[in-house]
Amino acid sequence: MTSHPANGLDDIVHQRVRLGILTIAHEARRVEFSYLRDTLGLTAGNLSQHLGVLETAGLIAIEKGYAGKRARTWVTLTKAGQAALEDEIAQLKLLIGRIEPAGTSPS
Amino acid sequence: MTSGTAFSGDDPRRLLSGTRELTDQVRRTQRATWFPLLVLAVVTFAAIPFRYSPHRLGTCAATATVRICTAYPPALLVYWPTALVLAYVVIAAFYIRRSQARGVGTRVRPYVVAGIILALAMTGSLVWTLYHPLAFPLAGAGLFSALHSYPFAIGVALVVLSWAERNGALLALALGYSAVVLVTSAVGSVSGHGWLGFPVQLVIPGSVLLLGGIGFLLAQRPWRRAA
Repeated sequence: MTSHPANGLDDIVHQRVRLGILTIAHEARRVEFSYLRDTLGLTAGNLSQHLGVLETAGLIAIEKGYAGKRARTWVTLTKAGQAALEDEIAQLKLLIGRIEPAGTSPS
Repeated sequence: MTSGTAFSGDDPRRLLSGTRELTDQVRRTQRATWFPLLVLAVVTFAAIPFRYSPHRLGTCAATATVRICTAYPPALLVYWPTALVLAYVVIAAFYIRRSQARGVGTRVRPYVVAGIILALAMTGSLVWTLYHPLAFPLAGAGLFSALHSYPFAIGVALVVLSWAERNGALLALALGYSAVVLVTSAVGSVSGHGWLGFPVQLVIPGSVLLLGGIGFLLAQRPWRRAA
């Protein structure tokens, strides 16, 4: 008997904001804190909490610096983060395959 | 602009479509396709005066049945690699500066590296061909000239940019532009590389780059803060 795809979901990644952070960091390669905040519609505090969870799990790396006099925080995806994102997407597709009746496609 | 409302819910379909929307949004933010096209259009138009300079480089070689001579303006051989390398450096600087301002990384490096390598390789190949006239095929000379032209190297590099930017519209433009380069090169060869032949080989490809650049400028509207 095969396990249900939901069992393969990682609780850290299977959360819409954290999945969004990983998705953006993957595509952007390097993303600034304010871009994540504005794009995901979060407060700075809320975003910081999610970044902390992902950094503790080793899925992202956070680099702080300055652009002129302005403090900037850059986020990059680690190899573990890349793998976790790929796993999550694969599990989501499996789940959709289970939910969708044969012959139909998601709208 | 935020996509928080679009990227919500725990439904796997919505999560997956949300990741696609975010991916598209990041790509739109990263793209600045209009800039390299306009810069390369300027570089192409600026090459026109150099094509009328004296053709002092080249040599002749003969076999038992045929004698082939090559000729090329040294000024053009200096202009193209210099202008292209400078153009790619300017393009890289523009993308990096824009990336820092917008808060997302850039994918321009493969394009800039490919562009510079192609420009230098084209120069080496051109010089070698100039001094080895017998390597120049008599059949399909127009195609051979087009493949050994800097405008064609620009087109190949644009294909790399379309891959880096995941930009299907740019891929179509790059392929169309490369086809135009091949056709205009053939026309230029037919006209005997005379007064009309040279400008045709630069004015038409340069115009394609210019119009493409204006089109992408209007589509991408960089004056908006974010896509």
